[in-house]
Amino acid sequence: MPVVKVLTDGIGEVDLTDIAIYRQRDGYRQWERAVRELQSSEVLDIAERSGLRGRGGAGFPTGKKWSFLPAGDKPRYLVCNCDEAEPGTFKDHMLLERAPHLVLEGILLGTYGIGSHHAFIYIRGEFKRGYEIFSRALEAARAAGFVGKNLFGTGYDLEVTIHRGAGAYICGEETALLNSLEGKRGEPRLKPPFPAIAGLYGMPTVVNNVETLAYLVPILRNGPEWFAAVGTERSKGYKIISISGHVRKPGNYEVPLGTTVRELIEIAGGLREGRTLRAVQPGGGSSACIFEEHLDLPYDYENMAKAGSMLGSGAFVVFDDTTDFVKCAFNLVRFFAHESCGQCTPCREGGHWLETVLHRFVEGRGLASDLAMMRRVSSTITGLNLCALGDSIEPFLKSVLQRFPEQFEARVLREVASA
Amino acid sequence: MSSAPATSDLVSLTIDGVPLQVRKGTLLVEATKMVKQEIPVYCYHTKLGPAGLCRVCLVEVEGTPKLQIGCNTPVAEGMVVRTRGENVEKGRAMVLELLLVNHPLDCPICDKGGECDLQDYAIAYGRGSSDLADPKTSKPKAVDLGPTIVLDEERCVVCQRCVRFDDLIVGERQLVLKDRGHRNMIATATGDPYRHNFTGNVTELCPVGALTSKTYRFKSRPWDLRRTETSCTQCSVGCRMNIDLRHGNVLRTMSVEGDDAVSDWWLCDRGRYNIGYIDSPERIKQPLLRRDGTFVQIGWDDAFALWAKAIRSAIDAGGPERVAAIGGGRLTNEEAYLLARTMRSLGVKNLDWRAGRQRQATPGSSGGTLLDLERAGAIVTIGESPAELAPVMDLRVRKAVRHGARLIRVAAQEAPPSMPFQDVADVAAAAAAIPANVTRVALIWDGVDNALAHAAFAALSREGRTLLTYIAGEQGNARGAEAMGMLPFAGPGYHVADAGHDFDGICDAALSGKIETLAIFGANPVLNSADGAHVRAALQAIPFLVVTELFMTETAKLASLVLPAAGAFEKSGSMVNLAGDVLPTSAALAPPDGVLGDFEIVVGLARALEIELPDSDEIERATIAAAAALPVGIAFGDERFAGAAKKDLSGEGLRLHVLHHAFAGGGTLAHDERIAALQPEPTAAFAAADADRLGIRAGDRIDLVGAGGTIGDLLAERRDTLAPGNVAFVGLRSGSAANEIAVGSRVRVENIRHSDVPVEA
Ligand SMILES: Cc1cc2nc3c(=O)[nH]c(=O)nc-3n(C[C@H](O)[C@H](O)[C@H](O)COP(=O)(O)O)c2cc1C
Ligand code: SF4
Ligand code: SF4
Ligand code: SF4
Ligand code: FES
Repeated sequence: MPVVKVLTDGIGEVDLTDIAIYRQRDGYRQWERAVRELQSSEVLDIAERSGLRGRGGAGFPTGKKWSFLPAGDKPRYLVCNCDEAEPGTFKDHMLLERAPHLVLEGILLGTYGIGSHHAFIYIRGEFKRGYEIFSRALEAARAAGFVGKNLFGTGYDLEVTIHRGAGAYICGEETALLNSLEGKRGEPRLKPPFPAIAGLYGMPTVVNNVETLAYLVPILRNGPEWFAAVGTERSKGYKIISISGHVRKPGNYEVPLGTTVRELIEIAGGLREGRTLRAVQPGGGSSACIFEEHLDLPYDYENMAKAGSMLGSGAFVVFDDTTDFVKCAFNLVRFFAHESCGQCTPCREGGHWLETVLHRFVEGRGLASDLAMMRRVSSTITGLNLCALGDSIEPFLKSVLQRFPEQFEARVLREVASA
Repeated sequence: MSSAPATSDLVSLTIDGVPLQVRKGTLLVEATKMVKQEIPVYCYHTKLGPAGLCRVCLVEVEGTPKLQIGCNTPVAEGMVVRTRGENVEKGRAMVLELLLVNHPLDCPICDKGGECDLQDYAIAYGRGSSDLADPKTSKPKAVDLGPTIVLDEERCVVCQRCVRFDDLIVGERQLVLKDRGHRNMIATATGDPYRHNFTGNVTELCPVGALTSKTYRFKSRPWDLRRTETSCTQCSVGCRMNIDLRHGNVLRTMSVEGDDAVSDWWLCDRGRYNIGYIDSPERIKQPLLRRDGTFVQIGWDDAFALWAKAIRSAIDAGGPERVAAIGGGRLTNEEAYLLARTMRSLGVKNLDWRAGRQRQATPGSSGGTLLDLERAGAIVTIGESPAELAPVMDLRVRKAVRHGARLIRVAAQEAPPSMPFQDVADVAAAAAAIPANVTRVALIWDGVDNALAHAAFAALSREGRTLLTYIAGEQGNARGAEAMGMLPFAGPGYHVADAGHDFDGICDAALSGKIETLAIFGANPVLNSADGAHVRAALQAIPFLVVTELFMTETAKLASLVLPAAGAFEKSGSMVNLAGDVLPTSAALAPPDGVLGDFEIVVGLARALEIELPDSDEIERATIAAAAALPVGIAFGDERFAGAAKKDLSGEGLRLHVLHHAFAGGGTLAHDERIAALQPEPTAAFAAADADRLGIRAGDRIDLVGAGGTIGDLLAERRDTLAPGNVAFVGLRSGSAANEIAVGSRVRVENIRHSDVPVEA
């Protein structure tokens, strides 16, 4: 079994929320080393060479993202995205609750790596427990001299500000998050300008996912080559996969990228007795399904894209032969319609329209003409929106409409269908 | 700015096969207009910039797989753009189909029908049919947003132009988008009524019939309207304005797209909505002569004869010193010119336009344009700020502040503006507050205290700095009146003339029996001067007072002869705005029967006096020359314009300030019931220290008592920006006693009635 313990090391075994225990396990050593011995450009270089890509969904190379920040003496900010609300994703708040010091050390390293003095962490409103645990961790780290002024006597200052969200999925989108952080309505911004140029309070900003930042700690400890040695050609290192759905042991599993889809299902205990696999949604609610012909594909960014889906945030949902895909499609479309900020016409109106129609299907009142309409509308709105949420409505719906048309046709009203 | 761009600033591209060169950074939506093509837009607006929300502006850019939004894509060298074609049409048709999914399509009863971007684009780019099989969502159809606007939520396409206007242009941020997804809707952030000086603009920005003006709802269809372009004369900005009539009635006013120089495409609510007076039944429609204490109607010929006789006998008895004329600020240039010329030809030198508190309207040779104002790095206001006096000018101030200008107010008494500002005690502090690297400074003055203006000019002048001056005063054509010679010391084109009395001097002379006859054209000094009681006494001492007016104002009531005059939309001519722009005004309709324009009134008088008048060509030439004359030799805060030394107004108590408000005052505003909803509640603002000392809480009711009278039942407010020792009164109305207590004199607070619920200060 390829399960590893890198970020998850010690979780479930010791109390990593205790700063003393975290420090006994080498905690904050990389932070101290970075501040004392490394230039911030060296940290950036290490991140770049490790091949680390964003674990928040888009998979953008982390070092490259940092390098987009323009030179100059404007204040710059690092924002840690802990809004985790993608359906099926539950890794970030586990790290927040179980390994808060690791998350913090990652934030500190990232902040240093972009040459900033101020980090923010945006924590989803529902994560009350995680917020409390992280707040205590931050205070402990401050008391220990890891956060604040003149760190390790070097003259370097770094402040961390915690901000709690109010429970909107869209606030995980990085520019909506920045608006929300600024106290504005949580709606995505028109790009360009990108956050690297004008982000938080108009200043150059990097937004990174919790898991992305946390990986900086082992990467600094073991060297970028250690990380880059694992994985596939362009998907390096490890990733925590949130496996859920029709498996015997759902949960977070940390694996090297490139582990096959079949192995992931096995890691999570396999399917239940007598069940057969119908589909896997490999990258969160926004991703299209893959099917049994994809079981032996390596689970990485490239192969998931090749299969017509994506790796996304690593939310891996397994569907067996008991699945009602009409209900699933309705559930997801309703989710996106409900969470749409409503700025853009296609996402706002298209999502709501599809939800209305799918609701009729769930109730067995579909119309034959609806099937073509759903295909036409969902595909036309994709690519027309301001942010990726609007483009997330189609993938799952399209893939199951195509694969399981009989489930939809069975919900078409008989009389109307024959008329 | 007007110089041709260097070639390196130009980018070559083709749009729909047509090659063109445009300036770097130009957005495709604007570049496309240059090749006479259209990219449809809802959320984009030239003055608001891109928002990227509606997604109707899709275009195809060669080499880019996804459709791009034309509103946020800048031109690039070699770019090949298609605004039509299969892909574009498919995407665009989808957006339109989606906008119609929940749209009520109640076009037959929608005010926007016929000038609606949803109708127009749906026809031009839509699919013509929809697969919609479910009922549309229903939403509230007549949400009362505030005193001016009604919202139909079903019609809203959520383009957020209204929200962005309120934020980016006005800076009020009252309108917001509430909730999210398809449930989102326009509302005020606080739930309070939508209210500021510029609300009406959102009805024009709204691409559909979601936001409608209460004054225009269900009144007309656009194709039944007849449009006249003119200038608003209600304040000294002179915004370009379209007037729409149906069957001879003014139904609405609209801004003029493309008017960058003056209005920046906006109107204030006063300019936009103060139109109801035009057909008020209370308008005077026949000359009225006072006989035995009451007014009787007489004919125009008799009126002119009586008036001419009064002037002749005054001159015969005591010379032209016994005759005087006031007016100009509400007249056209041509009227003011003719009035001054007619009077001067009789030897009359007691001429003035200034019958209120403003002393000077011409800012001297340092006067700036409105465009200059938005490029200033620092803006200093002395006296009252332009927010209420020249509302649309204040939008330029806000624009400058948004671009980083420092706003500094000297000894301000009015409410803090909804933008960053700094209040300082005196001009020296203002000078010190300007950052050293600022090279363009704008100085805005209300035209009242010349010594202060002079000192400010001196204090802010600096080597290497451009100091631009502005006077935002009380009357629309005040600057034109000065240029036309309605000043006691200057003729047309500011040529020095034999000095006569100014208005104060005329009042003093009247009180000592030295004025036989005075004609007041379009002014109401009893309500609007600094000392109404004094003016009233003076006017009562004049044997033959003539007033030309639309309504029986406080001043008209004192006249021997009241002449019904045409309103602004009923006459053509020109005006000079505060920035020196010469602007045409065009009659949109004829005055009511029996009513004459002031021009015809002066002509009638001149005929009765047998004075030879120049022909119309000569008048036109002379007014154009006078309006174009450079105000050389006029200083900012010129002492020749200054008033006589103030009466000693010291004493015990708080010093009274009467502040302007766009909807306060008498005149036309008093004759439109819809305007009544916009008028401010009469309010007295106190500095916190005074309020504490006197035991006044915000929300209390109080009376102010001074020599001359009592201003009763005022709402008390606490204002941190007010200096202790002052009380600021807002909300002057016809019939108010406020004008009976001299501005600047001392008042005391009496009869404090605490409110049950204290209002937040
Ligand atoms: C609708 C939407 C929701 C998102 N939610 C999250 C989230 O909860 N957490 C997260 O890290 N990224 C989320 N993202 C991705 C972020 O926009 C951003 O790409 C990410 O935080 C960048 O971090 P990374 O480069 O470390 O992955 C979301 C994106 C979209 C479009
Ligand atoms: S795509 Fe949807 S969620 Fe994203 S900005 Fe547009 S309306 Fe909002
Ligand atoms: S009310 Fe009008 S301007 Fe405002 S968002 Fe709706 S459609 Fe746009
Ligand atoms: S700012 Fe002045 S000129 Fe412009 S619309 Fe308002 S009142 Fe009229
Ligand atoms: S006009 Fe371009 S998105 Fe609305």
